[in-house]
Amino acid sequence: MSLLVARGLTVEALVEGETVPVLRGLNFALPPGRVLGLVGESGAGKSMVGRAIAQLLPPGFAVTEGSMAFDGTDLVAMPLGHRRALLGRDIAFIPQEPLTALNPVHTIGAQLAEHHRRLGVRGRRMLRDYALAALSAVFLPDPAGLLSRYPHQLSGGQCQRVLIAMAFAGHPKLVVADEPTTALDVTTQSPIVALMGALQRASNTAVLFITHDLRLAASVCDEVAVMYAGEIVEIGPAAQVLHAPRHPYTRCLQLSIPPMAGPRRALYSLPEQMPGLRALARMSGCRFAPRCPVRAEYCLRIEPPLEGDNHRSACLRPGLVPTIEVEATLPASPWRPAGQAPVLALDDISKSFATGAWPRRGRVDAVRGVSLRIAPGEFVAVVGESGSGKSTLGRLVVGLEQPDTGRIVLAGHDVTAGDEAARQHRIATVQMVFQDPQSALNPRRRVASIITQALEAQNAKFSVREKRARALLAEMGMPLELGLRTPAQLSGGQRQRVNIARALCSVPRLLVADEIVSGLDVSVQAQLLTLLNRLRQDHDFALLFISHDLSVVRHLCDRVLVMHQGEIVEEGPTETVFGWPRHEYTRTLLAAVPA
Amino acid sequence: MLGLLTVITLCAIALLAPELAPHDPEAQDLMLTLQPVRLGSSHPLGTDGLGRCVLSRLLFGARMALTVAVTAAFGAMLLGSAMAYAAGYLGGWTDWLIGRAVDVWMSFPPVVLSLILMVGLGTGRTNVILAIILVDWTRFCRVLRSEVIVVARRDHVAAARLLGFSRWRTLLLEVVPATIPLLITLLALEMGIAVVVEAILSFIGLGVTADQVAWGQMIADGRDAIYQAPANLLAPCAAIFVAVAGFNLLGDGLRRTLDLRLVEGRG
Repeated sequence: MSLLVARGLTVEALVEGETVPVLRGLNFALPPGRVLGLVGESGAGKSMVGRAIAQLLPPGFAVTEGSMAFDGTDLVAMPLGHRRALLGRDIAFIPQEPLTALNPVHTIGAQLAEHHRRLGVRGRRMLRDYALAALSAVFLPDPAGLLSRYPHQLSGGQCQRVLIAMAFAGHPKLVVADEPTTALDVTTQSPIVALMGALQRASNTAVLFITHDLRLAASVCDEVAVMYAGEIVEIGPAAQVLHAPRHPYTRCLQLSIPPMAGPRRALYSLPEQMPGLRALARMSGCRFAPRCPVRAEYCLRIEPPLEGDNHRSACLRPGLVPTIEVEATLPASPWRPAGQAPVLALDDISKSFATGAWPRRGRVDAVRGVSLRIAPGEFVAVVGESGSGKSTLGRLVVGLEQPDTGRIVLAGHDVTAGDEAARQHRIATVQMVFQDPQSALNPRRRVASIITQALEAQNAKFSVREKRARALLAEMGMPLELGLRTPAQLSGGQRQRVNIARALCSVPRLLVADEIVSGLDVSVQAQLLTLLNRLRQDHDFALLFISHDLSVVRHLCDRVLVMHQGEIVEEGPTETVFGWPRHEYTRTLLAAVPA
Repeated sequence: MLGLLTVITLCAIALLAPELAPHDPEAQDLMLTLQPVRLGSSHPLGTDGLGRCVLSRLLFGARMALTVAVTAAFGAMLLGSAMAYAAGYLGGWTDWLIGRAVDVWMSFPPVVLSLILMVGLGTGRTNVILAIILVDWTRFCRVLRSEVIVVARRDHVAAARLLGFSRWRTLLLEVVPATIPLLITLLALEMGIAVVVEAILSFIGLGVTADQVAWGQMIADGRDAIYQAPANLLAPCAAIFVAVAGFNLLGDGLRRTLDLRLVEGRG
C-alpha cells in the first residue's frame, strides 16, 4: 500500500487562450518511508507536482484529470478544510529559498511555537521544550540562544535546518522537498542532505525529493523519476536510472554532466531546448523526439507508453539508448606553459569593505594578500564558497573595484592606479562576463546592439557593427534572426551566449567570467562549456573562471585556485589539486560533491 | 484610456476656447448678474456676480490650468530629474548634498512654501509656474533617485563602462532609458498636482492677475453667491476634479503600459 499515488495526474493551464497540458498523465507511487526523486530541467513541471499536492497551483492552472491519492484519499477532490488539516501535520514541505520562507519579523522561537501550536502542543513551557527539542534534532548549536534570533541573523544553512526541523516536527508521513539545497553553498549542501536522510529514516517518513541534479537525486533517493516536458519519461531504482538509463533523455543528461572522476571527456550537447508551453500544445508523438539522437521517423507520430517492470521508460527504441555516446573529443588545452609574460599578474592584492554605520562601523576583508599569474591562453579557475572573496577578486581585475594595497599588471601595463590611462588599457585587454544575464543585458537593446556595444563605444559605423554582429552570432551558434530580438525574448542559455558574445566582441586577451554557468540547466551548461572550449581554439584568450562548481572547473580549467575567507589557500594544476588536495578546506569542498 | 481621453478633451477645449466660448470671458453685463443655469440660453451655466458668462470663463480657465500644469510639471521634471541623475549615478558627496537639500526643502509645508514664494515673486502666470517648479522638483528628485540607484547597480551599466562607454554615454544610454517610464508617470501625476496648486494660489488671490481667468479665482468669486447661483462655485470645482482625475488616471495607465517589470510580469 503506497502512501502517495498519482494516477494519470494531468494539470492544464490556460496560455493565451489555449489549454496546454503542463503535466500529462503522471503515474507514480511512493511507499511509506521511501524517497522518490523527481528530476528534470527547468520547465519540466517537477515543481508543479509539489504544488499539486498542496493544491497551490498558479492562477489559470488546474488539475483536469487523474488523481493524487494520499493515504487512500484523493487530495484533489478533498474538501479544503480536510486538506488544510493534512498539510503541515501529515504532509510537510521544505522550500527552496530558506531565507524567504521564514517570516523576517518574528523570532525563530515564535515561528517554531506557532508551528507547534498548530500541531496541538499547548502551554508556554511545553512549546519552549518542543522548540528546543526540534532545534537539537537538526543539530543546531545553542538552541536556547537561537529561539530569540531573527531569520536574517542566521546563515542560509541554519535557516534551512530550522525549516527542516519544522517539517519533521509533527512526524509527518510525507515530506515534499523542492530543491532544498539549491540555494545553499556547496559545503552546506551535503550536511543538509545527510540530515534529511537521518530524520527521514528515524521517523520512517516518505520524501518526495524534487531536484534538477541527477547525481544528487541518485545519491539521496531510492527511486528516481525523470521528467521531461510535463511527463515522466523514466522511473526506476536510483542507481539503475543513473548508471543504466533506458530513456535517451536521461542518457543525454548523464553525458552532459562533467565527471568528477576518471578521464576528462567532451560533454554531450543536446541541441536546442525543452519545448515551451505553447509549443507543447502543438506536439504529437514523443515529446523528446525532436531533440532525440536515436529517434526514428515514427517517434514523431506515436506516443510511447511508460513500459517496463520496476524500471520503466517511455521510449519506443530503448535498445538504442546505450549506444548514445559523445562523438566529439575534448580538444587538448592549447595553453603552453612556456615562459611567456603573464597576461595578468596580481601582487599581494587586498581589499576591504566598510560595514555597518557609526558607532558600530567595521571593516571586513574581502580579499587578503592575493597574488596570482595567468599566462596567455590559460584557463584558471577560482573556487570557493559565497563570501570567500572570489567575486571581489574578479571585480578588482576588471577595475570595478580598486584595491587597497598591492599591484595589478595587465599585459605588461600597471593598472593599479585605476586612472583614465589604466581604464583605456583595460578596455583593450580585459572583459567580463557577468553572472546574471537578466541584469547584465539591457532589456531595451536588441541582441545585435548588445553584442556590438564595444564597437559602439568606438563610434564604429553601423555597417561595421552589423557585420561584426553577424559574425559573433554565427560563432555563438545562434541563428541570425535572433539579432533582432530583445533579451526577454531569449531562453536562458541564449541570453548567456549573448552575454559571452558581448565580452568577446573586441577580442580581449583575458576574460573574467563570474559563475556564468551556475544558474543553468545541465544540458544548457554543457552547450556553453562546449562553446567556451571551441572559442578557445579559435581565439587566443585567457580565462579567469570564478565558480563554485568543481566538476565544471575540472572540465574547463587548466589550473585552479582555492579561495577561503579572502585568501588563496591552495593552487595548482586542476588534476593535482582535485586528486591530491593538501589543504583542509579543499578536502571539504571536494567531499561536498555528490558522488 | 479614460485618463487619456479626458486629457485630450481638456487640451482640445483649451486650444479651441475662443471658438467654443459663447462670450468674451471678461465681458461684464451688470444687468444680467447671477443668472441661473439654463441650458439652451445664451449663458448655459449662468453668470457670475459681475454678469460674466460662467461657461466662457470655465473654457478659458482650462487654458490657464493646462498651461500651468504642462509647463510647471515639465520644469519640475527637468530640475528634479537632473538632480536625481546626478545624485543617483554619481553618488558620494553629490548624493549627500542633494539629498540634504531635498530634506530641508521638504521640511517646509509645500503650500506655505509656495505662498511665501508668491509673496516674494508677485502674482502672474509665470510666477505661479516658477513657484510650482521650485516647490515640486523635490518630488521628482526623491522618487527618481532611488530608481536611478537601482538601475545603476545593474550589471549592464557596469558592462557598458567596461566596454569603453564614457560616464555620460553610460548615463544617457543605459541608465536614463530605464527610468523614462517612471518619469512619464510622475510627469502626469505632477500635472494633476500643478492644477490643484494653481487653483489654490488663484483662490487666495496670490496666483494670476485679475485680468486672467483661472478656476481658483472663479471659486473665490462664486463663494459669495453660493446660495443664489451655486453653479458659479460648483462648475470650476467640477472642472478641477475632472482635470486632476484625468491626469491621475493617465499616470496610472502609463505606468501599467510602460513599466517593463509589469509588462514582463504579464508574460
